[in-house]
Order: sequence, then C-alpha cells, then structure tokens
Amino acid sequence: MSGRRRLPLAWIVTLPFFAYTFLFLFLPAGNVMTGAFESKTGGWTFANIRLLFHHPYIDAYKTSIEVSAVTAGIGALAGLAIAYAAIRDGTPRWVRNALTTFSGVAANFGGIPLAFAFIATLGSIGIVTQFMKNQLGIDLYGNNFTLFSKTGVEIVYLYFQLPLMILVIAPAIDGLRREWREAAANLGASPWQFWRYVGLPVLMPSILGAFILLFGNAFAAYATAYSLTSGAVNLVPIVIGAYYTGNVLDNPHFAQALAFGMFFVLAGMMLLYIPLNRRAARWMK
Amino acid sequence: MEDYEAQELEFWRKLEESEMSRSQMLKRSVAAAAGLTVLGTGGSAFAARQVARAAAPPLHGKSVSMAQLVANAKKEGHLNTIALPPDWANYGEMMTTFTKKYGIGITNDNPDGSSAQENEAVRSLKGDSRAPDAVDDSVAFAISGAAEGLFARYFNTNFGTIPRALKDTRGYWVGDYWGAVSIGYNSNIIKTPPKTWQDLLKSDYKGKVALNGSPLTSGSAIAGVFSAALANGGSVTNVAPGIDFFAKLKSSGNFIPVQSTPQTVASGQTPISIDWDYLNLAYAKEFPAAAWKVNVPSDGVYGAYYAQAINATAPHPWAARLWQEFMYSDQGQIIWLKGYSHPARFNDMAKRGVVPKALVAALPDAKIYAKVKFASPSQQTTAKAVIASQWPSKVGA
Amino acid sequence: MKPRRGTAVSAYVWLALGGLYFFVPLLATFLFSLKSNQTGKCCTVASYTWVIHNGDFWHSLKISALLAVETIVISLLIFVPTIYWVHLKLPRLRPVIAFFALIPFVVPPIVMVVGLLKVYKGSPSWFYAQPWGFLVAAYVILAFPYMFFSLDAGFRSIDVHTLTEASQSLGASWATTLTKVILPNIRAAALAASFLTLAIVLGEFTIANLSAFHTFPLFLQYVNETQAYPAAALTLMSFALTWGAMASLLLIGRKRGDRASFVTGARGAR
Repeated sequence: MSGRRRLPLAWIVTLPFFAYTFLFLFLPAGNVMTGAFESKTGGWTFANIRLLFHHPYIDAYKTSIEVSAVTAGIGALAGLAIAYAAIRDGTPRWVRNALTTFSGVAANFGGIPLAFAFIATLGSIGIVTQFMKNQLGIDLYGNNFTLFSKTGVEIVYLYFQLPLMILVIAPAIDGLRREWREAAANLGASPWQFWRYVGLPVLMPSILGAFILLFGNAFAAYATAYSLTSGAVNLVPIVIGAYYTGNVLDNPHFAQALAFGMFFVLAGMMLLYIPLNRRAARWMK
Repeated sequence: MEDYEAQELEFWRKLEESEMSRSQMLKRSVAAAAGLTVLGTGGSAFAARQVARAAAPPLHGKSVSMAQLVANAKKEGHLNTIALPPDWANYGEMMTTFTKKYGIGITNDNPDGSSAQENEAVRSLKGDSRAPDAVDDSVAFAISGAAEGLFARYFNTNFGTIPRALKDTRGYWVGDYWGAVSIGYNSNIIKTPPKTWQDLLKSDYKGKVALNGSPLTSGSAIAGVFSAALANGGSVTNVAPGIDFFAKLKSSGNFIPVQSTPQTVASGQTPISIDWDYLNLAYAKEFPAAAWKVNVPSDGVYGAYYAQAINATAPHPWAARLWQEFMYSDQGQIIWLKGYSHPARFNDMAKRGVVPKALVAALPDAKIYAKVKFASPSQQTTAKAVIASQWPSKVGA
Repeated sequence: MKPRRGTAVSAYVWLALGGLYFFVPLLATFLFSLKSNQTGKCCTVASYTWVIHNGDFWHSLKISALLAVETIVISLLIFVPTIYWVHLKLPRLRPVIAFFALIPFVVPPIVMVVGLLKVYKGSPSWFYAQPWGFLVAAYVILAFPYMFFSLDAGFRSIDVHTLTEASQSLGASWATTLTKVILPNIRAAALAASFLTLAIVLGEFTIANLSAFHTFPLFLQYVNETQAYPAAALTLMSFALTWGAMASLLLIGRKRGDRASFVTGARGAR
C-alpha cells in the first residue's frame, strides 16, 4: 500500500464534507470573526476585543465558563453512571431503550418550557418546594436557596446535559466488552479495580470528547437561562442576545467580538483536549 | 422618481444625527448596489408583474378613493405583518376584523419579535414575498429605519388628526398607540394592593415582584426602570435612581429576576408584574383565576408609544396602505382602545364624542395618565447605555 | 464459569435518581396543564383540546417532521463516510474536524442566520424561499457537532482497520464495506446522532424565526408567550411526540440491524 500515492485520493473523499462546511459554516461564521475587528465607523480596531476584558463582560465569561464546566463535569460523571447502569448486564433491555429515546428528547428540551417546568417544580411555589416545606419541614427559599440564580441555572442545564452525555457515551460503553469484565473478575479484581485499570482508561477518550461537547453545549445555551433569570445571571450568550434580539442594538461589532471571545474559549478547550486525548488513547494501540 | 429623491435628501440630512460615517454609507450603497444587481432579474420581474397588476401606490390616502384602494388591495390578496402578538393592544381583533371586512388574509410572522428583528426582516427578506408589508416599531427603530430607507412615505387619510409629537412629519412613520408602565398584581395572593413604587418595597411583597424580561433587552423592562427613576428623584434624562431602586428591591428580596409570562402570571409565580398597562389589563381578562388587577403607579408615570411604518419594498404595497387606513379609522382606533391602550387619535375622537364611555372606564384613572412623561429616542439611547453598564453589577446575579 | 451478574444495587440507585430528576419537572408541568383557566385549579383537559383543535399545530408539526427527516438523511450521508474515512486513513485530520465541530456552538444562531441570509439572498427561490433548502442547510450545520462526537465515539469503539481489511480481503467494494459492514457496527452511534438531530430540528427556534419559516418550535414559542395552561399541555405533547418519533427511529434502526455482521462482540454486552 503506497502511502504516498494514496494520500491525494484519500483527501478527495472528504471533499463533500469540506465543501459543505465551507459554504454553510465558514462563510457566515467568517463574517462574525472578521466583524469582531471592525469598528462602527468602518475601520479595523482592537477596541471591541479590549472591551471584552472589562466588567461586566469578563465576568460574563467567568460565569459562563464556570457554569459550563460544572454542568459538563457533573453531566459527564452522572451521565456515565446512569448510562452504564442502564446498559450493563443484568438491567433489562427495555430500560436502555427507554433511556436513550428519552435522552434524545430531553437533550434538546430547553427554553421557556424547560424553565417553566423547573419553576413549577423548584420555584417559590413549586411542587417540590412545597413538598419539602410541608412534608419534610425544609424551607428552601427561607434558607436563601433560589432557582433564579447561577445554581438554579446549573440545576436546570443538567436536564439537557445528562441526556446528551448518555447518548454520546452509550456506544462507547457498548465497546466495553463483557469478556473483559469477566476476565477481570476471574483474576480477582473488584469492580472498583476494574474501573480504575480497565474501564475508565478505555472510555477516557470518549469521556473527554463528551465533556467538550457538553461544555460547548452549555456555553452556547441561551433561551433557558434567559427565561429562567431574565438575564440576571451574567452569561455571554445573554449579553450577545441583548445586542441582537432586544431593543438595544447598538454595536453589532461588539456582539461579534463577544462571539469571537467564545470561539477563543472553546479553542482553548480543544487545545487542552488534544494532548489529554492522545495520552488517554495511547495505551489502546 | 420624486419619492426616491426626497428620500435621498432626507438621508444625507439625517447623516449628521445618525452615527454612521460617510465611508460606511458608501460601503453600504456599494453593497446594496451589488445586491441589487444580483437580485436584478428576480426583482425587476417581480416589479414588472406588480406594475402590470396595479398603478404605483399613492403617497396620500386622500388622493385615491377608498373604493379604489380596497380594490387594488384585494387584487394583491394578502398582507404580511410581523411582531404583532394577538393579545398585545388587541392586535388579534384588529387582524381578524381586517380580514373579515376586506377578505384579505394576514400572515403574522414572529409574534413576539422585537423592533430590531422587524427592521432586520425588512432588510434580509427584501424582494421576497415573505417580507413584512408593515412594521410596528418602537420609535427609535422607526427613526433609524426611516434614515436607512427601509420605509415608504404615506400620509393616511387621518394623518392630520394625529398629534404632531406622535408622528414623522415627512410621512415615514406614525405613532399608533401608547401605554404607561403599570403594576399588575394577583389579588388572591396580594392582599394589600401596591399603588406606588414606594409600596413595592414593603416586606409583604418578598419574592413577588417581577419585570417582563431584562432591561438589557426588553422594552417593557426598560420602561419599568424609567418609571422607577421618575418615582425616585430621577427623570427621563437620569435613570440611575431607577436602577438603584431595583437594586434596593433586589437586596430586600422582593425582586425576583424571572421573566413574567402568561404562565408565571397564571400560576402565581409572579404575583406582581411590572409591565405595560395594556398587557397587564389584558392578563386580567385572560386569566380570571388569577384575579389580576392593575394600578398605574401614581409616583412615576412613564409612557411610550410604538409607530407604524410601511415597508418601502413591500410585496403588497396597496394592502399595506389599506391596513394603515383601517388602523387609523375610528373603527381601528377603538379596537386598540379595547386593547387597553391609548390610540394616537384619542384626543381627536374624544373631541368628536365617538369614544365609548365603557372603554374609557375600563382603563385606570385618567388623572394619573395626565401626568405621563415620554422619553425622546435620544434620551432612551442614553438611558440604555447607562442601564447596560450599571444593571449587571447592581442588580444582576 | 461465573454466573451471569445480577442487577447491582448501585445501578438501581443511579437509575432511580436519574428517573426522579427527569420525571418530576414533567409531572409539575402536567399538573399545571390540567388546571382550568377559570378557576386556576384542577382538573380539565381543555388545554389539550385547545392544542389539538389548533390548525397551526398540525401544519407546523408536519413541516418540522419533514425537515427533521431531510436533515438526518443529509447529515448521515455527509458525515458517516467522512468520519469513517478520517478514522481509517486520515487520523491526523480528526482533531481538525473536531475543532470545526465546535464552531457551530460558537457562532450564536442569531449571528449565523443573519450571515446566512446575507450570503444566500441571491440564490434561486427553490432553495432560499423554501424551508426544505435553506433551513435544512443550516440545520445540518447545527447538527454537525452532535453528529461528529456521537459518530466519533461510535467509530472509536469498533476496530475500523480490522473490519475494513477483513471485508476487503473478502472482495467487498468500498460501498459494500461501508453499508454492509461498518454501518451496522456503528448503528447505535448513528441512531444516537439521528436522535440528537431530530431533537435539534424539532427544537430550533432562532434561525427559523428570523428567516420567517413556520416550523413547530415557532408555534411552541408563540403559545408559550401568549397562553398559560395550553403552553404546558403543548410542552408535554411535543415531548411525547418527539419521544414517539425517537422510538420509531429505534425500531427502524433495529430492523435493518438484525442482519448485521458480527465481529468479536464489538456490539458489546448484547
């Protein structure tokens, strides 16, 4: 197999993909990226980018990154646990199917319906709030808990983060062959040891990839946080939205700069991901 | 064509006021020209079909007979509107009555869109048959849209009876209705009705006060801040006291940052909602279970109006003008009044005695309304900048 | 030989916790949807009948369903061969594509649609004025990250090189290898990716809104902004509908998968 000669042909197969992404992703997105450096009067400037580092915009990035990391982390771990619980030997098959189909729906449940579902549950007169107050004697709102806060946003975001993780990691869990588990057990390994030395390392590349996906998913989410907190929680998409959808349209280039900043953060994540992924996948080949 | 030249003159005049520079203008016109040549074949064919269908639409409603206007509009057969929620100032009834009266169907896009989105739709969908024929913009966007050349000039038959302060004298837009900021409350849950902004600080209202969105994006919420400013030593040129008031409301625990929607109002999650009077009054009618009552805060009466404009490249220009004629006829104005808003021709109609007493009685006290203050578009712009910089740190989480 | 492992307690705990977290908010919505407009208390199905008798509900649902199917088909056609090829021949390209896959997250839909509308305004009306052209093109891009990471996880879990070599040494062409050998083995991943795409299309609001197409999410948003109890009813109905669509996708996927070739338990436990 002549590696040198095959290469040009190999690239051709990816052509439709690149053509498509160029036409429908790069052209519109490029507009954003270059627009971030334009000023309202038509010249080039770094002023928009510099403004990103001032309050409240830098705070928006901090909060967004925190919320995304927390929900991606919890989503990844809990999602993995739930997915494994549903897929493993011993759990009836219908549980897995119900879980994956439900996850497909819940992964894209968002905006006003999701916000309201949680308001009806954990809002100041939500059913769980009232249940806890009346039946368990725990007054959530009296103890300074409120759904309309950063914590509340994280709780609600998990509703689509967990299903996303479940969907993405399930095929990878399928790859954990039953024989390995049995072999480990035969060698006297406890379940914990199996996970530490076999299970998690095998799954780690997929877990990392899923984490990135969850992070990006939370980072870009807008409608849910807005409906829940009316923009009171300072998140980057909400600031961008304020420039595009509201009655405050003032400086579209600054909004593009905000999007550019998002791109930068996600690019940073990817740069972290590549070496981690290489380390994780190393022992497999 | 004379309209185009007049637009151009107007355009260069407005350049001083707008923030665009000449070079950006040139760039835009080059882009527009390029766009026009690309669209050339489609656009001109479309225009040719239009010309074949009917004569050029009029500048003055008075210059054509109503019968001819109706006939030409019917030939077009359809009307595209945008951002008109049916329960906002009774637009639902406005649209169904129009359709029933003239047999012209209406497609209403993006019912909850903002003025920015309306103007964007005019821009992006130019030449498309889905483009909106008319828009209902906040004044700031009506002005910027006119400067950008998005709108056509039209003087409807009743243009003269609209107060000068509520219209563009060149005919690019006309104010349609105005409303004031009000406090709506669920009288089942709230036992002592809040009548003023000061009242809202009472401890009975802990965790109960909400705005309709965030002042960074929602026009209604921005108006709430203005109204609070007026009640706390500020003015239409100084909204900082309003922001400080909300900060106080938040630290006392009364203010909850959730957007008040029909669901939160009906469920009682937002037992007090600060919103436009016509919206709060409509809630009262829609949700009898919530026993919703409305007060206009007597210590801060802030009003704002919206403006009608016709798309310069409307796919149904005659229908668009008929729509405007309908809304500004006595019948149309009363439909708006039924929606609890103050229609633009209210004073003229009251003078002629054609306003039904029952409708006036359904609104809060006229004496409070008499104190209303409006902010000019430039004052609003300044205020928005102040809000954008101060709100997140003082009131945001 | 060790006996088959029974159900572990920890599995039940996790499933129970997950179930509670997912189910209770839906229950709260359901209870709310049963309240009557007049009294604010239980129980009436008036909200549900309102939705069912609403013509816009059916109209927009049909449009969105067709859009979803079209998006899924086009996405799979573009992404499956590409990712397969990358795993097989061009592993260095993988991080590059993964990087591209993050771009749709970064460009907010609101920005994307303005850009798309500007760029494609002059295109022929069969593409631009119809949801089947313009909107699907945008939705395929939106689905791209989810498609990529799902399919990528799937391809990782099988031994692409061995399968391909085995298949080719048996004389199969590339097309046969792809459809008869590879595809059945990444069935779970492709299905997951399709689920996600379906959900995306049935939930995407901004782009459809600004390009003035009347899809189901627009109807949903409209009801949520103007109605109280019917909004809750509609939320649950759309949830159930989407779930039903997923379940049927699962059935379709399973029928074809039953004839799949098997390679050393690559499909895992079952």
